[in-house]
Amino acid sequence: MSSYFKRLIFGPVNLTKGLIVTFRNLISPAITLQYPTQKQKMTKRFRGLVDLDPAKCIMCYQCSKICPTACIAITHEDLPENKKRLASFKYRIELCCFCGLCAQVCPTGAIFMNKIYEIATSSRKELDIDLLDPDKYAEWLNPTVK
Amino acid sequence: MITLSGFTSMVIVAAIILGFISASAMFLIWWERKVSAHIQVRFGPMRVGWHGVLQPIADAMKLLCKEDIMPCGADKWVWWLAPFFVTVPAVMAFVALPFGKDLIVRDLNMGILYIIAITSMGIFGIFMAGWGSNNKYSLLGGMRSAAQIISYEIPLLLSIVTVLMFSGSLSMQKIVQAQAGGWFILKPSLFVAFMVYIISATAEVNRAPFDIPEAESELVAGFHTEYSGMKFAMFFIAEYTNLFTISAIAATLFLGGWRGPFFPPIVWFFIKTYGIIFCLMWVRWTFPRVRVDQLMGFAWKVLTPIAFINLIIAGWLLLR
Repeated sequence: MSSYFKRLIFGPVNLTKGLIVTFRNLISPAITLQYPTQKQKMTKRFRGLVDLDPAKCIMCYQCSKICPTACIAITHEDLPENKKRLASFKYRIELCCFCGLCAQVCPTGAIFMNKIYEIATSSRKELDIDLLDPDKYAEWLNPTVK
Repeated sequence: MITLSGFTSMVIVAAIILGFISASAMFLIWWERKVSAHIQVRFGPMRVGWHGVLQPIADAMKLLCKEDIMPCGADKWVWWLAPFFVTVPAVMAFVALPFGKDLIVRDLNMGILYIIAITSMGIFGIFMAGWGSNNKYSLLGGMRSAAQIISYEIPLLLSIVTVLMFSGSLSMQKIVQAQAGGWFILKPSLFVAFMVYIISATAEVNRAPFDIPEAESELVAGFHTEYSGMKFAMFFIAEYTNLFTISAIAATLFLGGWRGPFFPPIVWFFIKTYGIIFCLMWVRWTFPRVRVDQLMGFAWKVLTPIAFINLIIAGWLLLR
């Protein structure tokens, strides 16, 4: 019987505490964003798509060797005076597991992970890209409705 | 005052009430979604119109366009009539609601009794929907609803009887006039009656935390699982109309109805009614759903004894 009265008295107190919590939430600003018009800023170490600064690349092939899913395929041309030139730097997003090992192993910092995370496309072909193409991520950065 | 005779006035009043009910239900649906969203620290509807105000219209259009599906094995007539049995009593309660000094469809001399009697009819519709759907979840929902409404009707009526003892009349307008000296809620025994009324009324209209007849997680929406399109919309409109009705009754019986300084009576009526509705929304989005045994225990072991003791104390106070 005493527990009955105890609950009768303390029950409303506890319920009021709950109501205070939700009222505080009600008057505090919302934490969600109106995607896609508003977007979350990615953190400094966020691993998006693999990106390349061709000027820094020394064609050591370490990135393609370390890649666990073999999504990077590099070819180069030999030039006179023992020089090399990148011919292609193929990146298959479909295979990429975003582990970041390529960026970690790169001795010159030529390969890095950018902040792009919206990688849905309408065909698989669009997921095979050449990182030497300067407009490679233009579609992802400024998407247009097809 | 405009005086119209017979059929014309009846049609005009009916149109005004139906228009108000539709607009109010739409507003309440939008408001509930916004309140729930902000309690959960998010925005809620934002796309259709300014802050999503046109969202209920978009939802209504969607429901109008949906196919009306009847489950095979359903009890056709019972299934068909159930939404009307739920919606019509909810609308009929508006006859005796006093929106202002002269703004009442008919000031019945047993107004509150009429409202309670007519809103209790809604249970038939819910049970019919549960039975007619030929679905075990719907049937369970309907049965639970019947048990719940019968249980909570007792403390609800006892709390209203307490008000009637102080007002000395069943007429809604006379109850408002009896509060000319001060709102009933300010009297201690009527404050207790108000609390009992608001809890019981929440259970009466199957709202959380007493929404076990339509418990989404266990009964898949209960009695209206099988309904789609406009029939589902009718259940929805009835739910929000009932919410308005119980809040309007609470405002009339305990908060002085349309009485108040500065603003016109109708404004005071809406401020009080929508204030109570907001509190009910706040409660809904704060507390979890109670279990069936807890629900019944609360009605019979807590609310009914409190309402009874309160009634006896109120009687003693009036007679001494």
